[in-house]
Amino acid sequence: MGTAVTLVKDSAPAARRAHPAAPATLRRRGRRENLAGYLFMSPWIAGFLLLTAGPMVASLYFAFTDYNLFNTPKWVGLDNFTRMFDDPRWQKSVEVTAKYVVIGTPIKLLLALGVALLLAQSRRGQAFYRAAFYAPSLIGASVSVGFVWRSLFSDGAIVDRTQSFLGFHVGGWVGNPDWILYSLVALTAWQFGAPMVIFLAGLKQVPRELYEAAEMDGAGPFRKFWNITLPMISPVLFFNVLLETIHSFQIFGSAYVVSNTQCGPADATLVYTCYLYQQGFKNAQMGFAAAMAWMLLLAVALVTAVLFWSQKKWVHYEEDAR
Amino acid sequence: MGTSRNVERRTILKAAGASAAVLGLGATTACGGDSGSGDGTVTIRYSWWGADERAKKINQTITLFEKKYPKIKVKTDFQDYQSFWEKFQTQAAGGNPPDVFQNAVGFLRKYDKRGILLDLNSQVKAGNLSLDHFRAGVTKVGEVDGKQLGVPVGSNTMALVIDKKVFEKAGVDPQTGWTWDEYFKALKTIHDKTKIAGDTGYFSIMYLYDLYLRQNGKAFYTKDGLGFDKADLTEWWQDGYSRVKAGIVTDPKIVAQDQPKSSLSSGHAASEFTWDNFTVRYSAEGTSTYGLGPIPTTDGTHTGQYLASLMLSASARTAHPKEVAQFIDFMVHDPQVGKIMGYDRGILASTEQYAAFQPTDPVSKEIAQYEDDTAKAGVLGTITPHPSGADTIEAAFLRIGGDMSQGKTKVSDAVKQFFSESEAAFQA
Repeated sequence: MGTAVTLVKDSAPAARRAHPAAPATLRRRGRRENLAGYLFMSPWIAGFLLLTAGPMVASLYFAFTDYNLFNTPKWVGLDNFTRMFDDPRWQKSVEVTAKYVVIGTPIKLLLALGVALLLAQSRRGQAFYRAAFYAPSLIGASVSVGFVWRSLFSDGAIVDRTQSFLGFHVGGWVGNPDWILYSLVALTAWQFGAPMVIFLAGLKQVPRELYEAAEMDGAGPFRKFWNITLPMISPVLFFNVLLETIHSFQIFGSAYVVSNTQCGPADATLVYTCYLYQQGFKNAQMGFAAAMAWMLLLAVALVTAVLFWSQKKWVHYEEDAR
Repeated sequence: MGTSRNVERRTILKAAGASAAVLGLGATTACGGDSGSGDGTVTIRYSWWGADERAKKINQTITLFEKKYPKIKVKTDFQDYQSFWEKFQTQAAGGNPPDVFQNAVGFLRKYDKRGILLDLNSQVKAGNLSLDHFRAGVTKVGEVDGKQLGVPVGSNTMALVIDKKVFEKAGVDPQTGWTWDEYFKALKTIHDKTKIAGDTGYFSIMYLYDLYLRQNGKAFYTKDGLGFDKADLTEWWQDGYSRVKAGIVTDPKIVAQDQPKSSLSSGHAASEFTWDNFTVRYSAEGTSTYGLGPIPTTDGTHTGQYLASLMLSASARTAHPKEVAQFIDFMVHDPQVGKIMGYDRGILASTEQYAAFQPTDPVSKEIAQYEDDTAKAGVLGTITPHPSGADTIEAAFLRIGGDMSQGKTKVSDAVKQFFSESEAAFQA
């Protein structure tokens, strides 16, 4: 305690110093330090309150109102939520999103894992390959890549011509309601770099002795993968599945840009957030849009809960083994 | 590792958000705060929708305006149609719409109801804006409940835009006053002889269905709702669907693939119902020669047509109503402006501009001829009222009609869905 007092700057008034109020000084100093800390954090705190917490509270309120941006919000209870289930376009958006999540996520993760397995071996130039495969996930979410994708998959563009050359006459995927969603799947799959890096880290953690032991027992590459690699990296796999699934549910930018802001043709890329956007900013049904946003949160929470529950069945933590 | 990636991403997002907020605040004060300066110079904001070509022309006209009114500066902004209205809605909701902007009839009641549009009558009385010298009746389009909410720059009317080469090849020559039966027979002839579908999907175009209803004593809208019932629409869409099946209307999948181009200019259809001034666009887009044909009728005379128009409207919140009125007045009356703009936004609305622009290219000439003929035929009536929500309903009609024609939705379900979406749009 004494040391603490000496540490206090002597700018403190003499009367106070004479007073045996060390705890108070301490508290004051602590408070001052806290204040400085909060001051440094204030841009983030302000940002969080103004741009995240505030809008979230407002959106929760709007979800139960009829609000068109211009009127005073009118309380309608659960109307917005019940309306969703009668709305064929809402159902369509759920269907499109589910399809995207169910098809896109596994393909992306399989690619990530496959390439990670190749890159985990030590060979010359691996650092270059890792960087090269990682690069798309740095730029893939950008709007400009969306435009590039749109051009690649248009009628008469490279994908169309390659297909025709190979004998498939589908035409450009972008204009075709049956195919355009797969161009989005391809776009997300192409960005497998981020989960790949995580898989790589996981693969490095697998003890070499296990493989050596397995080899002694005469296990081939497939058995080694199935019985050693997969269980050992299952926590990493779980993490990637979780992250990428949640991420997929939120798809907006690529669908919006590749479909030329229409989320079409024929609603083929009407992903959930795209419909939310249309209802909110095109049709000015902000109450309904807000309700949709909370419904998405609920759905993602539910899927996350199911995934966590499923861990028991397939995720293998080392502690369990002991 | 994974967690750190996650945290990083979130932190970066927040930082980005915070800086965006700071920038946003800066931007608001920059453009919202100071629109008049010490020497009496006033800045007004003007936005419109359209392609680059229109922007080039408008910028030339603004140079003329600023020369005549050196104390008024004009700040411009333009997007395509969809983005324009999304942005406008957000700006208007935030209390910061542009001072003057391009407008169309479908949006008048919507934004009047929300108190966004300036009633220009007071400026007319003050002598800053003249509603004289307009072609017959066209200023009516901008009138709602006695308020002048827009001043037309050009007028247009629905027409049948045709691929002349295909029509010739099939030996079809549409005559004024032809009936729907004759029209559908013509589509079949075209399909039989050229293997090209006759039409791009007439049944999902709101403005065409409006004409059909008007021919039968109804209209698409009443003052505050839909002017037809479920049975009417079921019949209209059922017929449309069977014609798609018969191949005389373009396969809706191909229509979707051709977007944003029209199936007409892509060579997948021989005709399309749309506004007459779209011929300009199709001629630029497509490789064939395009012309205008008459709207089919029910009784052999009445097409149900009327003049619609693009307008200039002003914001009710503008700090400079006088300058805005002077700007609109200049843009709709000045003959030089008319010469520059041509028929880009429809046939020039004021008589000064109409007289100043002499079309020389065949497409503009044909449009002028078409509107002239239509006016002379005496078929032009009063425009159908467009209640608030008409813009959303037009888009829904097109979308749901398209789904229906693809066989994705049963006709009865499509009709039900359209009526329920319309209900929501009227109330929004």
